[in-house]
Amino acid sequence: MHPATPPTTDTPVGRHHRTPLPRRRLLRGLLAATVAAPLMFGAAACGGDDDSAADPNAPVKLSIFWWGGDARAKLTEDALALYTRKHPNVTFEKTWQANQGYFDKLATLTAGGNPPDLFQIDDNYLAEYAGRNTTLDLTSYQKSGKLDTSKFPESLWQYGVVDGKLAGLASGENTQGLVYNKTLLTKHGLPEPTTGMTWEQHIAWAEQVTAKTKVPGTQDPSADYKAFWVWLRQQGKDLYQGKDLGFTAEDVTKWFELWKGARDRKATPTADVIHEGNSSDITKQLVVTGKSATSWVWANQMPDLKKNTKDELGVIAYPGDPSAQWARASMYWSVFRGSKNKDVAVDVINFLNNDQEAVKLLGTDRGLPSNQDLRRVVSDDTTDPAMKQSIAVEAELTQKFGKSPQVPIKGHSKVRSELIKAAENAQYGRATPAEAAAQFIEACKSAIA
Amino acid sequence: MALTTAPDPTRPDPGSVRVRADRRGPGRVRHSEGLAGYVFLSPWLIGLMGVTAIPMLLSLYLSFTNYDILTPFSEVQWVGLANYERMFTADPSYWHAVRVTLTFALIAVPLKLAAALGVALLLNRAWRGVGLFRGLFYLPSLLGGSVALAIVWVNMFNRDGAFNSLLSLFGIEGRPWVNDPDWALETLMVLAIWQFGAPMVIFLAGLKQVPTELYEAASVDGAGRFRRFRNVTLPMLSPVIFFNLVLETINGFQGFTAAFVLSNGTGGPVDSTLMYTLNLYITGFTDLEMGYASAMAWVFLLAIAVITAILFSTGRFWVHYSDGEDR
Repeated sequence: MHPATPPTTDTPVGRHHRTPLPRRRLLRGLLAATVAAPLMFGAAACGGDDDSAADPNAPVKLSIFWWGGDARAKLTEDALALYTRKHPNVTFEKTWQANQGYFDKLATLTAGGNPPDLFQIDDNYLAEYAGRNTTLDLTSYQKSGKLDTSKFPESLWQYGVVDGKLAGLASGENTQGLVYNKTLLTKHGLPEPTTGMTWEQHIAWAEQVTAKTKVPGTQDPSADYKAFWVWLRQQGKDLYQGKDLGFTAEDVTKWFELWKGARDRKATPTADVIHEGNSSDITKQLVVTGKSATSWVWANQMPDLKKNTKDELGVIAYPGDPSAQWARASMYWSVFRGSKNKDVAVDVINFLNNDQEAVKLLGTDRGLPSNQDLRRVVSDDTTDPAMKQSIAVEAELTQKFGKSPQVPIKGHSKVRSELIKAAENAQYGRATPAEAAAQFIEACKSAIA
Repeated sequence: MALTTAPDPTRPDPGSVRVRADRRGPGRVRHSEGLAGYVFLSPWLIGLMGVTAIPMLLSLYLSFTNYDILTPFSEVQWVGLANYERMFTADPSYWHAVRVTLTFALIAVPLKLAAALGVALLLNRAWRGVGLFRGLFYLPSLLGGSVALAIVWVNMFNRDGAFNSLLSLFGIEGRPWVNDPDWALETLMVLAIWQFGAPMVIFLAGLKQVPTELYEAASVDGAGRFRRFRNVTLPMLSPVIFFNLVLETINGFQGFTAAFVLSNGTGGPVDSTLMYTLNLYITGFTDLEMGYASAMAWVFLLAIAVITAILFSTGRFWVHYSDGEDR
């Protein structure tokens, strides 16, 4: 080390440090700082008030929030970077996290008056947000063509309409998919299940799988609202009818009895394992943890499931008539009604759905692309075998899809958790199917009241 | 409490008081000193008001409304006592949560205190390496509300977890403890009891305060080990026991993290781990009924206050303060 240069000019000042400032001056300074700080922050917070529509080239910082894993984050960030390249004045403040806790955070941000301009949402919460006027009605943008849905399947964008308002735009399409372990079946010389098998045939098949492989043939989906929903539609019922339930206690009892029968025949795992599989966590699905030969998921989750297992997977429609399934918006993009940058936010949604480069970047991560022309482009291009499978099954089912049901109503998330509770009560043998059904109906009524 | 220490003779205390008194000058200076005090207090004061007091009062107001988080404050509707009425008359899952929480606290808290006292007695000896053991036993409670610990617990008490492997060595077939509605809450209790380190350390400190003369006198009178424990240790330790009891009871009622992690935030399987605070959280953030959840929070606060008051009133009969007159 070289010798330190002797301090010259600094020293005298340093000496004075110990001299006390006149107390009153100090206090006044402190007080001023205390008062000024919030004013300054407050002023900064108010800075974005001017309407972005006034000057199309004014810099805009758009906040955007989604749930998902690393892979989705990477794809989305790339697509947004592409937007910034084309519109250099627009930059993004990106926030993303896992699905668990996402809606807690979104609600908290909204309550704090600081929701993101643009956010991802799904049909479990769309009506909750739209019904409280948190989401921007996109109808006028759709009419003016700023939001282009001309290449969307009609039923797909309509699945974002709540009370006559377009509350969210489908960022992809998916449908119920029954995923099975191909490797396991091939090893034991068992047939693969096929679309169109009846529920009875499915359970008989599963019973046979259990007997041969010692791995329970099928996860018991009685706690799974989407399986229940498909089954209801096959009985000519629905999950919701207007602002009311679309089914009765008798329907629920029949559904629970169907699966009690399956459990008695050992077609399913035991109650505690079923409980593990009732988690919405992809990594806990029984088909990837090896605790069952099937899992009841969404078809677009195939690539994610595949990442968690070495076994080959297959995917088909849920049992029964596949026309009970529909082109579901796997998730939506919605704009916060109070956003300062509505027009830009809508333009970004339009870009993410209709720009060929962006859609190619995003692939089928949020479901099949909503734009059907681009869907073709993406399916021709993709190399991921799991993604190919999910595209194939959806393409096949698209011919058979029935009419979309209405978007689930306010209270739907409670209905879902009550179904799990009631079904598990029956699975653990703590209630008969009829008792569990009565309990479920009771809870639903207060949930949607 | 028994933990009070004698005044430290090395501190130059008496003099300094007078000096300070002398320096107090005219009123103006004193005034500005007071103000300076508040200014220096302000970080804490602003924190208290902003983060605790104001939100608490706001939640009291919200408990009389139908606030649902998403609706702006300005459109919130006053519903009077409707939330409280619903809680007491029309919400079976609320009462279920109350039962779960009471069961948890009534079993886990006494056992945790017993474990803490037992281990403290063992460690209150002059062994070699006793310090190491104290540290080891204290370790789990350092990880207190930790999510990681709860995850480890779930994996240990799964159907194919470590605990069942251990049982199978003895030819016992285990259960899927955490996924069994009959055992999930018990698994949480064991986790809570295992984290007895904090009360243990306090017990240890208390045990060190018991004067050895008392034991010697008791021995001379022919008291055996049990009699000494019963008639010397327990009474002398009673203020510390009381302190731990109050603290752990409040803690026990507030258990959240482990139940949340174990059940993925649902209170499952079949509501068996639906603790009061977890139910409150689900009501507020998942079902978006924040007004109702606020009402639950206030009833909870009152209930804990009442329970603490009851504990204090029983203290008269069994807590013995050796410092001075009986109370």
